[in-house]
Amino acid sequence: MSGARSVWYSERLRMSDQSQARTLAAEALRYLKRRGVDYADVRCEHLLHESLVAEQGRIASISLSESAGIGIRVLVKGSWGFAGTPHLTAAGVRRAGAQAIELAKAASLVNRAPRPLAPVEPVKARHASRWTVDPFAVPRAQKIDHLLWANTTLLGPDAIKRATTHMDFYKRWKLFRSTEGAAIEQELIESGAGLEVVAQRGADVQTRSFPNSHHGALSQAGFEYVKQLDLVGGAATAREEAMQLLAAEPPRAGETTLILDPTQAVMQLHESCGHPAELDRALGQELSYAGGSFMTPEHLGRLQYGSRHVTIVADATVPGGVGSFGFDDEGVPARRVALITEGRFTAYLSSRESAARIGLAASGGAMRAESWNVPPLVRMTNVNLEPGEGTLEELLRGVAHGYLLSTNKSWSIDDRRLNFQFTTEAGWEIERGKLGRLVKNPLYTGITPQFWGRCTAVGRREDWRLWGVPNCAKGEPMQLMHVGHGSSYARFDGVAVAPAK
Amino acid sequence: MFGSARLLSAISALVKRTKADGVSVSAHAKTRRVFRFAYDAIHQDLVQESIGVAVQVIRRGRVGVARTETLTPRGLRRCAEAAMDIAAHAPTRDALPALPARHRIASTRDWVAATSSTSAAQAVGSLKRLFQICQGAGALLAGSFVSGEDEFAVANSAGTACYAASTVAGAKLVTMFGALSGYASGVHRDVRRLDLDMLLKRSLTQSLHAREPAAVPLGAYEVILEPEAVAELVTWLGDIAFGAKSLEERTSFLAGRLGERVMDAAITIYDDGNEPDTLRVPFDFEGTPKRKTVLIGRGMAAGVVYDSVYGARFGRPSTGHGMPPDEVEGPLPLHLAMAPGRRRVAEMVRACRRGLLIPRFHYVNGLLNPREALMTGLTREGAFLIERGKLTKPVKTLRFTQSLLGAFSRVKGVSRERRLVAEPSQEMGCALMPALHLAAFNFTGRSES
Repeated sequence: MSGARSVWYSERLRMSDQSQARTLAAEALRYLKRRGVDYADVRCEHLLHESLVAEQGRIASISLSESAGIGIRVLVKGSWGFAGTPHLTAAGVRRAGAQAIELAKAASLVNRAPRPLAPVEPVKARHASRWTVDPFAVPRAQKIDHLLWANTTLLGPDAIKRATTHMDFYKRWKLFRSTEGAAIEQELIESGAGLEVVAQRGADVQTRSFPNSHHGALSQAGFEYVKQLDLVGGAATAREEAMQLLAAEPPRAGETTLILDPTQAVMQLHESCGHPAELDRALGQELSYAGGSFMTPEHLGRLQYGSRHVTIVADATVPGGVGSFGFDDEGVPARRVALITEGRFTAYLSSRESAARIGLAASGGAMRAESWNVPPLVRMTNVNLEPGEGTLEELLRGVAHGYLLSTNKSWSIDDRRLNFQFTTEAGWEIERGKLGRLVKNPLYTGITPQFWGRCTAVGRREDWRLWGVPNCAKGEPMQLMHVGHGSSYARFDGVAVAPAK
Repeated sequence: MFGSARLLSAISALVKRTKADGVSVSAHAKTRRVFRFAYDAIHQDLVQESIGVAVQVIRRGRVGVARTETLTPRGLRRCAEAAMDIAAHAPTRDALPALPARHRIASTRDWVAATSSTSAAQAVGSLKRLFQICQGAGALLAGSFVSGEDEFAVANSAGTACYAASTVAGAKLVTMFGALSGYASGVHRDVRRLDLDMLLKRSLTQSLHAREPAAVPLGAYEVILEPEAVAELVTWLGDIAFGAKSLEERTSFLAGRLGERVMDAAITIYDDGNEPDTLRVPFDFEGTPKRKTVLIGRGMAAGVVYDSVYGARFGRPSTGHGMPPDEVEGPLPLHLAMAPGRRRVAEMVRACRRGLLIPRFHYVNGLLNPREALMTGLTREGAFLIERGKLTKPVKTLRFTQSLLGAFSRVKGVSRERRLVAEPSQEMGCALMPALHLAAFNFTGRSES
């Protein structure tokens, strides 16, 4: 059985490689202390990623990736140095340690200001995410069967030009040790699946995804999450809607009421709240890549970011979120931080260094690294819009005209995270409180605080859904992080809507 | 650095040991030294060593792929076992990757010792000098400096054994003066030819300006796009239109239009993985040598790039654009270039009565309508209004929403000078682009605080 083989593969790693990592981390710390660093941490990681993709009724790719290595971060004379190495030997980690120290010493020739770190209690701890069925124990044949069944459901009309179904499973083991005495082991499992169908006729290309676009159905869970997604049931609806979109009209241009369903609210939260609330970005440390933030420190506690309906939290403790963990990559315990409280900008996503730099008492616990070979950066955890009250019908009530938009298609925001523009795969016109015709190519645009300031309602907890964004890009070298976003329906007045053309 | 003998022998031995109908192994060893700085302090510096190995096995019509990040015999063996296990249980495929036969390439022509040996102290010394120049000008500096080396190797059971070693150095400089920012980037194989002083001067020229940025009316403008801005747009064209998969699925704007005029005759776009003075790579992830492929020839839709699978479907040879075996987006162009013209940017500015000079775009997205190459994005540092042939004032951030087919159909000039644009801290790929003078570009929004 191939499934049995995957378990064997995974378990063998557990027994041999984790023991080796503990030994090497201890060796690295001894070496770094001997070299007299002011602070150091060592992060050993082992990642397994299984990916399965079907296209046009056939398997297009099945792959298994394994990555293991050690990242060493040191603070010397007020400067950081980091080195990552896949060479898992005592000589390999000592060499990496020496490289990190050399870098820090070189940087200290330029850096003048000290880099204090917000305090954290060093702990010895273990953490594991919750799962019921280890996806690496599920026979591959079962995954393939599930994938192909959904995929063939997408096929049919000539206009269907692409039918894709995919599954992804991740198992990550991490060991964090610091010169302050922290020793933390974590094991995190993620499972995800989804589908996308593309219909084309003439110059018109229409896409429908299920249950979300951009591989957004990803959860810190086992194979049970994939089974409850009901890909086969969603495939028929996605195919029909893609075909209907080819015949649909675009929305009318103008300012109107907008209701975002949870699939699109994900991207709105991600770009216009999550990224600008990263404190390292607000301090200018991403200027050479994706830019800065309008939420600079002088605005903390003062800026009216949105209406009273808008409370947005960064919650690394929420079960199932791919931005959840026990401890971040500085050993800070997972926290729930209210970034926006009833419209007011109240906190940042932060690290030990960035928090100390603006005088905060503690890190926000948001330092995360994509893998062992890059240093952690301030990243989103699960940035969620807190639910309000009301069903979708109640949100629709009283709307003379507007659109309900679903499933992100394109996204763009300026280098201070103010001017955004999104298109979605589908929209439905709202007329006198009722959902009407399907519309294609809906585009909306706005300015972040004005847009959130016009939020007139957020839907109830029962409609709140948590999604994953597995490709959040930041940093040089670019790191792709898995972050989570949860939202219910959200309604906004006076939004500029137009057909994408 | 592993070296040709060690890297090729490790993956060739793995190919021999793995008993299957076909085996292909690619390996990419990478070292990067990165310094990031903001407001005159280095806030991140790193050395990153990595080795990525991908094993593809073909067995009784089935394919399995596994990856590992080690070159140890134990790790490679485990990776091959995983690939064999996947192939043993995968469904049979209609189209199997073909293994290119007996290509032997060994290239070290793009490996420069001076870049490889750049020390932390040398890099910081260069940055310290830039900080001092900026401070003297009353400006602040942010950015990144990267140096590193790559080794790329492919071996397969049909006898192919290819190896290329190269180095890369690059810098991005953002200068800030009051409310204005400037930007310049450069990349070269040889760190000694990375002219940091010239880059700083270019960035400062954009930011050292007495006037505050102005809000200009929205609408269509004549634009002069500098090479970084052109690269951003053309790279998106590569993703949505220039690969054989998008042609097959008919989402590419080239589908049904090959041989027809789709752009102005001044536009020629091609992909060339062998062009000197770029970040060229002589073969692809299947081990097929790169072929120069014209995509748009004098405005006519000319072709797309192929790998072995899509080449077989279209009855064409692979053009050497195969991607890693677990990628499902099909062949893609990684070395896009636009043919140069005859104008100079200064001449373009003089010829413009009213328009915008745009050094680069930010956050472009080309997924709005790929059949029309409809894209959106924003200006960033250094955008200036041109009035009566002169740069008159910096402008606030503007958003465009524009069909590239429309914009590239009314070309008023293509520059003689081209610049190499790349992300040196990332994987393979670059763009070699001129500046473009376009008759109309549609701006639909602006940023406000």
